[in-house]
Amino acid sequence: MAPSNPLANWERLGDSFYRKVPIYDAIFDDDVELENYIIAGAPYGGAIALHRDESKPYRFRDAQTSKSSIDIYSCSGKHINRINWEYGTIRGLGWSDKEELLVITEDGTVRRYFGLHGDFTSFSLGNGAEDYGVRACRFWTSGFVALLSNNQLVAVSNYDEPRPRLLAPCPEGEVSSWSLIPPAYTLSRSVEVLLAVDKTVYLVDPTEAEDKVLQNGPFKHASVSPTGRFVALITAEGKVWVVSSDFQSKYSEYDPESRVTPRTVDWCGDDAVVIAWEDEVHLIGPNGVAARYYYDGTVHVVPEFDGVRLITNDTCEFLHKVVDVTEAIFRLGSTSPASVLLDSIDLLEKKSPKADENIQRIRPSLPEAVDTCVKAAGHEFDTYWQKRLLKAASFGKSVLDLYNSDEFVEMTEKLRVLKAVRDYQIGLPLSYEQYMRLTPERLIERLVNRHEYLLAIRISEYLELPADRIYVHWASQKVKVSTVDDDALCKLIVQRLEGKPGISFELIAQTAYDEGRAHLATQLLNHEPRAGKQVPLLLDMEEDEIALDKAIECGDVDLVNYVLLHLKTKLPLASFFRTINTRPMASALVETTARGQDTELLKDLFYQDDRPIDGSNVLLSEALDATDLPRKTEKLQLASRLLSDSKDPSVVLQQKLLNEASQLLKVQETLDKDLADRSEFLGLSLNETIYRLIRSGYGKRAQKIQSEFRMPEKTFWWLRLRALVAKRDWGELEEIGKNKKSPIGWEPFYNEILGAGNTKLASLFVPKCTNLPAEDKMEMWVKCGMIAKAGEEAFKAKNVNALELLQARASGPAAVEIERMINQLRPRK
Amino acid sequence: MAPYPGSDADYFRDKARRDLLTLLEGVRGKKNLVVSQDLAGPVGLFVKFSLLQEYGVDRVFLLENGNVDSSQRNVVFLVHAEKIRQVRAVAEQIQRLQRNGNVEHELSIFWVPRRTLVSNSILEEAGIIGDVNIAEFPLYFAPLEQDVLSLELEDSFGDLYLHKDPACIFHSAKALMDIQQRHGYFPRIIGKGDHARRLADLLLRMRKELDAEESSGLAGVSARGLLPSASTESLIIIDREVDFGTALLTQLTYEGLIDETVGIKNNQADVDTSIVGPTAVPQAQESSKAPQQSSKQGQKRKVQLDSSDQLFSQLRDANFAIVGDILNKVARRLESDYESRHAAKTTSELREFVNKLPTYQLEHQSLRVHTNLAEEIMRTTRSDIFRKILEVQQNNAAGADATYHHDAVEELIARDVPLKTILRLLCLESCMSGGLRPRDLENFKRQIIQAYGHQHLLTFWALEKMELLQPRSSATTMLLPTAGAQTGTKTNYGYLRKNLRLVVEEVSEKDPNDVAYVYSGFAPLSIRLVQCVLQKPYILSLVRGGPVTAATPSPASASSPGWLGFEDVVKSARGATFSIVQKGDDKAIRARQTISGNNAIKTVYVFFLGGITFTEIAALRFIAAQEAPRRKIVICTTSLINGDRMMDAAIEKGNFAKLE
Repeated sequence: MAPSNPLANWERLGDSFYRKVPIYDAIFDDDVELENYIIAGAPYGGAIALHRDESKPYRFRDAQTSKSSIDIYSCSGKHINRINWEYGTIRGLGWSDKEELLVITEDGTVRRYFGLHGDFTSFSLGNGAEDYGVRACRFWTSGFVALLSNNQLVAVSNYDEPRPRLLAPCPEGEVSSWSLIPPAYTLSRSVEVLLAVDKTVYLVDPTEAEDKVLQNGPFKHASVSPTGRFVALITAEGKVWVVSSDFQSKYSEYDPESRVTPRTVDWCGDDAVVIAWEDEVHLIGPNGVAARYYYDGTVHVVPEFDGVRLITNDTCEFLHKVVDVTEAIFRLGSTSPASVLLDSIDLLEKKSPKADENIQRIRPSLPEAVDTCVKAAGHEFDTYWQKRLLKAASFGKSVLDLYNSDEFVEMTEKLRVLKAVRDYQIGLPLSYEQYMRLTPERLIERLVNRHEYLLAIRISEYLELPADRIYVHWASQKVKVSTVDDDALCKLIVQRLEGKPGISFELIAQTAYDEGRAHLATQLLNHEPRAGKQVPLLLDMEEDEIALDKAIECGDVDLVNYVLLHLKTKLPLASFFRTINTRPMASALVETTARGQDTELLKDLFYQDDRPIDGSNVLLSEALDATDLPRKTEKLQLASRLLSDSKDPSVVLQQKLLNEASQLLKVQETLDKDLADRSEFLGLSLNETIYRLIRSGYGKRAQKIQSEFRMPEKTFWWLRLRALVAKRDWGELEEIGKNKKSPIGWEPFYNEILGAGNTKLASLFVPKCTNLPAEDKMEMWVKCGMIAKAGEEAFKAKNVNALELLQARASGPAAVEIERMINQLRPRK
Repeated sequence: MAPYPGSDADYFRDKARRDLLTLLEGVRGKKNLVVSQDLAGPVGLFVKFSLLQEYGVDRVFLLENGNVDSSQRNVVFLVHAEKIRQVRAVAEQIQRLQRNGNVEHELSIFWVPRRTLVSNSILEEAGIIGDVNIAEFPLYFAPLEQDVLSLELEDSFGDLYLHKDPACIFHSAKALMDIQQRHGYFPRIIGKGDHARRLADLLLRMRKELDAEESSGLAGVSARGLLPSASTESLIIIDREVDFGTALLTQLTYEGLIDETVGIKNNQADVDTSIVGPTAVPQAQESSKAPQQSSKQGQKRKVQLDSSDQLFSQLRDANFAIVGDILNKVARRLESDYESRHAAKTTSELREFVNKLPTYQLEHQSLRVHTNLAEEIMRTTRSDIFRKILEVQQNNAAGADATYHHDAVEELIARDVPLKTILRLLCLESCMSGGLRPRDLENFKRQIIQAYGHQHLLTFWALEKMELLQPRSSATTMLLPTAGAQTGTKTNYGYLRKNLRLVVEEVSEKDPNDVAYVYSGFAPLSIRLVQCVLQKPYILSLVRGGPVTAATPSPASASSPGWLGFEDVVKSARGATFSIVQKGDDKAIRARQTISGNNAIKTVYVFFLGGITFTEIAALRFIAAQEAPRRKIVICTTSLINGDRMMDAAIEKGNFAKLE
């Protein structure tokens, strides 16, 4: 076969070239009258959705064809699926870049079809869409904006969790055309909309609508370039303007010399605008230069980010700018090194020595030439020229001593993949740039959606990508269509997927369950290694206990709580408790959650489980939380009653103490009434009560309470000591000091009183500390400032050294005294 | 799994900062940030308020205060999604904002560390799930220091041992998976304690699930073929439950004592301004604290306690007894440094001096702060009560008959010493000797309840549930030094004290030769367990009473992995004992070994489940210093803990006085 001319279909447009590459032919049957259809094409060479334009009359043939439907075709015209449509007038038809079809009806219902085979989710636009009706929609890769008939704009920027949001209110008036700037390219990081109203254009974002103050409206078309930098407008006189997206500067103007307003205005890459009528296409470059193409039938334009696809009944073509590398090689009269390198292949095949001459001539720039050839091969659609260019690169490479071949190898891999998917049976006419942006993973996803499992697996093996999703999708599909009985099917699937890593049986089981094959779902689920994954499905399947066990097994507390929450609302209380009480983790979590939130549940739980102390503790907490005394006492009594049956000594003590608590509260209530005009004692502990009583001088009452509550003597003495010191009631303390014995000894008296600064009184207690060694006592005296007394102590102990030390610290009469004692002790020389 | 440069601490700090800022950037314009109390501190560890401001944060509110207003259109919530109570609080506040504001709010929630199913259903219930932007902020480890990673789960102790809520085990497992994803699998997981076992099982399970998920594209290509790590030696998990006793003792290192007296939270201590002087000398870190913290200044001042303070890193792990000496030395050195200005003759010398001035001033400031702090602590440690408490503790730790001290404890009760302190003493006795005699326990119970209020019936119940304070039953009387080697439900301190030499009387505080220095003579059991794995010869020689050869460890230590050699001893500590080898593809390992060589310094991760004390950190650092030529130790924990905080988990906060 003769090689096609690489320059075929090149068209000069200003400084650069554009070319229109025919990709497929014989796309649609002749009876599909394209002029009567609305067409939407998915980005990255994706599927095409056709819907009959209901505003146009059409020939009635039979009942079947007159039924409204959306047909999905591949780019090569292979019919993929038909969605029968009976849900109202379609106001928006578009695709996301995950190849999900979005259909928006007049009443604001959005249906998102994923996977190309009729599975869908739906949501409503709200925000008044039902009342006013949707007029039109514009899409970007991950969202869309709907224009309501009251000029309100509703934006949805995420399909997974759609949250329709109103944009700023826009002015009244007839919207003649509109367009949007995707969030990725705006300053506000949110979608912005250009709305041509009357003579001007408004830029609408979520917070405000800004008038761009233009005069040449009403604009019949507005279109934003793929990078959001430029806007193409068709003015009232039918001229095409290209302006910057901030409307500050106008770059070019073009007059198509046609009375009829073009049907569509799109961008071909970022540099050229394509305007199309029924059968005519103008390609407008910078400075208003243009190329024109004519067709026999209707032509539809499907924009891509790097060009446009032109679709007619017979052909699918890709119109795009010729990239620099290609231009450098193929341009007529090009003398670039890469071009020379390509030439030398010819010469080499002719065995001409000039091949080597050529190489030597471009030797200095040979590495770049090789690079260029490799890159150009990627951008070529014709396999002949791909091979040719790679051959040239390979030849050039062989001459070089050092060359990193990675790019070359990668390019051959990419081209193999591209060739495979461009095949008309697959119908994904990806350009090299598109493939790079789409990424191999998502390409495989698209293949899977088309049920091209074999190719998908081959490609993922070839590129060493994970293939588990392909298998899972295959298996799910198998589950959907297979009529074999459950056991056989499960066996088949498990057999096929054995040893494949990362298979999510949960997803397959989910499909089986959705198909109503619960038994199969359970069987499949047993093969899922990730316990956590199984839980939601098990809950759906009402396998509650298994779900709970699996959740516990995987240790994820959140999952367990989730199951418990679910069970609690679903099961009667008794069986809920029965479910959890054999599972300690579950009951611990129920307790934790219920604590402080649902005490009734706790009480029931403890009652059911026969845990009286826990139950009584809940009541005790309630008593603490209660705000008035009668309720507190009541709760305390209830708490105590719960324990009354038990003989266990610790429980008996617990009960006794609970009763004591009520008793104390009662006593404190009386104290409050008698001694204080406000609540002062209530809520204090017993010790605090007594301490406070003594400090306020109610020693008698304190004593009475002491005996009433059988407080240990020692504790009472300590309390009295501390309270009296705090009160600075030295007289009383001295009085106590006259006692013979103290249960806590006298040292604390000394310490506390000294700590309070009364050395004189403190000193009174030193002699009472009879069981302390002399050294300590000396120290005690010294601390009171009574060195002479300390001396006496030392003297009694016959400790000369200590005396000498004391002497150094003493002065006045004390010093004399000590001197005397030293002399007495010291044997005369 | 590409080896990132830098330590784990740096890595996690950077990652957390980056994640948070990216999330904040996603919310356009100015915003108010609502953060829960338990996140405010950790967030402060890796991002400064000024930086948050740069990212549009206008004001910060605490979730618990519930006072977020409508001053900004954007409101961002940063809250733990696993805490159901907080999730409900968020839902309530969002509903309130929607109800009363005339502003239409743009609401975002960043769930920490992940979005949970329960949070979804709560928001759904409240009918607001459609109105909020929800994102995840995967914050796990917050780096406290280069060698300390903490999950900063304040409630983890109470959750785990009182409420038996294993959420923090799962959380820990996730966090450790982060480390494994970074370095490869821990070649060996060694651990002690039932919860530790649970954690290890979770790690194994998660690895299996990750293997299963590996190729599904979720984990990304980088996680494929995760292998046992070449740079990690092992993971040692110690369950706090194994050794409650240590944590109940009063910490005697400088940092530990600050923690005991003032309290350290997220590397900061709230110190009274009368002690350390007013905040008039703002250090770099201090000025940047979140505003809700600076608002309540006046009496308290935040003191940053981390390694950015050179003096502090010198002091922190020293026994408090020698802190005074070090401070003196530094003061003298500083003085002489200042004096050097007189020696400066030429202008260049003078300039050199002037250049150093800021460092001197900084040092001076920190010297002043620490001298004051140390003095303040000294005041406490000299007090009569502190000495009594310490005496009781030390005797308990040494295994003396505890009943002798009951009088002292009773006196302390009567003197109205804080309840925590009393309970710590009782719990300590209960832990160390397998429970109190029922009669004694009843007696104490009655006295404490009379002294501190009847609400503490609940406190006792909680302590019993945590198995911290129990009556001695006939089943536990076996806790005698003679009876060893049976897997108990309690840690047999009596036996271990002898067989692991927990008490080292002659330890020098100044120039320590054993980890026992951190408690002035008592070696934490938890640390001894770690040593059983890492320093076998040392422990052996210690127990046999032979020459102490800490400095010259034999190479044999590396050859016997896991608990080998100590299985019997370790059995008498509470809970499961395990040592698991994580194997990978043999070929790949061998290939890697040939590449990386075998003698590199490897990292040991020591994970304390349920909390670690500052003294234990100090002890681990002490070991790390000895092991420095062979291994690096990274300390991980769920939170920092001390005896007071343990008691806090149990103590009932309400009382009967609450009346309207």
